[in-house]
Amino acid sequence: MRQVKFIFALWKANLQAAMEFRAAFFTQIIFMMINNGVYFIFWILYFDKFNAVRGWDINTMMLLFGITASAWGIGAFFFGNFISLAEVIVGGRLDYYLSLPRPVLLHVLASKSIGSGMGDLIYGIGSFMLSGYFTPDGTLRFLLGVFAGVCIFIGFLVIVQSLSFWLGNTVALSQFALSALLTFSLYPSVLFDATTKFILLTLIPAALIGTIPAEFVREFSWQSAIQMVSGSLVFLFLSIFIFKLGLKRYESGSAIQVEV
Amino acid sequence: MKKYLSILTMQIINNIAYPGDFLGRSISIATFIFIFAGLWGTTFTIANTDAINGLTFPNMVWYFMMAETLELGRPRINRTISEQVKNGEVAYILNKPYNFLLYHFSAGLGDGAVRMTLNLIVGSIVAWILAGAPPAPLGWLMAFVTLIGAWILHFCFMALIGLAAFVVEETNSFELIYQKLVFILGGFLFPLDMFPTWLQNIAYALPFPYMMYAPARLFVKPDVDLFWRMLGGQAIWVTVFVFILAFVYQRSEKYLTVNGG
Repeated sequence: MRQVKFIFALWKANLQAAMEFRAAFFTQIIFMMINNGVYFIFWILYFDKFNAVRGWDINTMMLLFGITASAWGIGAFFFGNFISLAEVIVGGRLDYYLSLPRPVLLHVLASKSIGSGMGDLIYGIGSFMLSGYFTPDGTLRFLLGVFAGVCIFIGFLVIVQSLSFWLGNTVALSQFALSALLTFSLYPSVLFDATTKFILLTLIPAALIGTIPAEFVREFSWQSAIQMVSGSLVFLFLSIFIFKLGLKRYESGSAIQVEV
Repeated sequence: MKKYLSILTMQIINNIAYPGDFLGRSISIATFIFIFAGLWGTTFTIANTDAINGLTFPNMVWYFMMAETLELGRPRINRTISEQVKNGEVAYILNKPYNFLLYHFSAGLGDGAVRMTLNLIVGSIVAWILAGAPPAPLGWLMAFVTLIGAWILHFCFMALIGLAAFVVEETNSFELIYQKLVFILGGFLFPLDMFPTWLQNIAYALPFPYMMYAPARLFVKPDVDLFWRMLGGQAIWVTVFVFILAFVYQRSEKYLTVNGG
């Protein structure tokens, strides 16, 4: 309960900070929605020409975009540091968090909010509502899919970025991991061969963010549900475990850091 | 001229000074080509055809390789300019004995030359593995010539977005929209040949195809008529945007406010 109160207090502070520059905040949201919409034109043109690919049509793609954008948006808006954790570790900025009586990883992740994430979240919800799967049970499955997506986005990137504790600067590797995860999650894995599909379920778990939840929302199946839930729990707990393990090796200089 | 060449050379040296980072960046192009080859490989299999709107599967993969080389190799000059405007560094650059825009043009060209070369090497290896031998030498020549106009047009857009920081604080959103317009109307994700006719007409009336489609399409299917048409279009749009950029730059200087430091 104490941690829940703490995280809500962090989110409130982040929102208040964003509201200080509300014009910039709302501009970011609107432009991110336009950005996603313009990108989706590719799929409109594609399915206009080819109708369907291995059972995937324009509605399924809207569903996939809806789930991925919502999951990304929640991660970016509420746990914004999940894409810059490596920089925090390498820059010695964990000192600040270590000196406070709060869970370090949770505190770091939720200390930053990326305003455009709200644009992704709104776009994602809109895309889901227009996809034709906006029914009561479809919505419940959508929420579960998004939750799994958030866990995997955050879990996977925390694991990759925690390698900084052992390898030093892994900013370039983290950026590559982020780019690969996000790009692959926006394409249905039915496009790829068996080996690639296996990689997309394990090493770069993009299929667990996009394809599997989209198929789960389309039609309930225990296999998809188990893949999603077990995948998200494994990545989440593994990320906490690896981060804690790495924290024991953390060293910093004597630089004075100011957290605003 | 000599000083701009020195800036260009300096930027090239800066880029190759960190080989790890230098090679790391090129991994991205391999991933993207792999995804794209998956998409089009499946599409061609399902359509059960060798060519779609005149383009074969190897054409599509090599088209995308060239398009990605351009997209990933182009430096985001707008971010540097925008940062310099916001933190006031622009005031120190303006009193140096070189032109602010030409300085960024040379530095960007130095960055771009290195990145594009590396992307081209890594991208060609991946495309060759996935789709077979590269296009004919004439395609390489036509792509290289149209690449020059494409790069200048891209610079003009990036510089205009960067200079927007004189008026609005946050310019990243403009970059995202610009990038997506190039992705769609420039033919980055989908060659213009695949567009419905009405959308092709709209695209051709805009500068975007001359920045992406021109070099990529001429690369895979060299065509003399199309080459001159693309070159003509580039000449017109480069003239228009160089004038707009010069005008905006002059106006921007009047917005400059520096507070001590």
